[in-house]
Amino acid sequence: MIDIIMTQPALSSAKFLFQKCISESSSEGNAIEVIRNCISGKFLEDIKPTDLNKHVWNDTLEIISINKKTKQSKNLDQLYEHLPQTLQNYLINTKIKWKNYGKIKVSRINSKSEKDKLELIYVNPNASIPQHTHEGNEAFLVLHGSYKDQYGTYNKGSVQIRNEDHDHMPIGHPTSGCIGLAYTEGKIKFSGKFYKILNFFN
Amino acid sequence: MKHYNKKKKNQYIEALSKIASKKDVASFKIIFDYFGPRLKSFLMSSGSTESIAEEIIQETMTIVWTKADYYNPKLASPSTWIYTIARNKKIDILRKSNKAILEDIEVASLPPIESKLEDDIELDQKFDIINKYLDDLPKDQLALLKLNFIEEKSHGEIAKITNIPLGTVKSRIRLAMEKIRTRIKNDGNATDLNDVNIGKNIK
Repeated sequence: MIDIIMTQPALSSAKFLFQKCISESSSEGNAIEVIRNCISGKFLEDIKPTDLNKHVWNDTLEIISINKKTKQSKNLDQLYEHLPQTLQNYLINTKIKWKNYGKIKVSRINSKSEKDKLELIYVNPNASIPQHTHEGNEAFLVLHGSYKDQYGTYNKGSVQIRNEDHDHMPIGHPTSGCIGLAYTEGKIKFSGKFYKILNFFN
Repeated sequence: MKHYNKKKKNQYIEALSKIASKKDVASFKIIFDYFGPRLKSFLMSSGSTESIAEEIIQETMTIVWTKADYYNPKLASPSTWIYTIARNKKIDILRKSNKAILEDIEVASLPPIESKLEDDIELDQKFDIINKYLDDLPKDQLALLKLNFIEEKSHGEIAKITNIPLGTVKSRIRLAMEKIRTRIKNDGNATDLNDVNIGKNIK
């Protein structure tokens, strides 16, 4: 599943962030990202160049002549340290706006105006999320801790696909709880159960 | 595809090292003149407009200038390193383009991104050795990877363009990636790829 997600074009910020987080959290994802970069580097050498507008060089020179002082970044949420670097950078100096649902809290990462959705989810230690199903397909990446449901136990770097057929009651790890990233694509219509999973990321 | 040009590669490695050691503008110009126009073609083939492409190039080159000391020729070719920086810049651009059409305050009030991504460049530049495996891939598989990665086409779009059934596109891409991964692993260059299994978590 990870390879299917990782080889999809990342044309929205939600999907791009999701892929980058997978590549940081799982070795399979990392391997694919590394391969992608190597392949792309190779193609970059062979591609036919397009002339740049002249001002680009001058502007760049101007930028590098100004000594930029890097500001100290502030982490405004205690969960920051458990997030992949990509998300830490993305959320830098930002207070994560959580919505609380009892023992879990959820924060939408990407803009509400985008049709796909990326959410950070925190499940308290030992908290169980009430039995629920999923609207459409959701890919869930475990970033920290773990959780279990009747299908299995899921650790850092694993990705699960859930849809309305999965009626489950996840429970966060007894001591560390679970931090995860949920990616939901825009509305898709599917036919057939098997097809659903295969075509999720198309 | 042209064969990897070692002489050229060394020229750019040397230029990067001169940027790192003595902030040599002439070397920077060499890198800029070679990679800038190529990045532009590259970015525009994956859907960037000209002005966005040039913006990314400008930011990418700025990082090349400031972070050249992070570059390690043992881990990546100059082109892979520079591509990786440009790709990481993409999130800023996606973010900006969201903002432009944005109405809800919550995200509009986000501070400008002060990217630390470049600090992780070192982590990203691994396994340049993969280049030699790529040369061994069948041409049809390489062509699919190119559509997939360079032109950012979905598997479905690739099927339409190439007239190859979707299932075949998926399996060829998967096969190509697995071949490379297996070779990395067999050559002992891999991090542990065992802890995540494809499909293991799907019920």
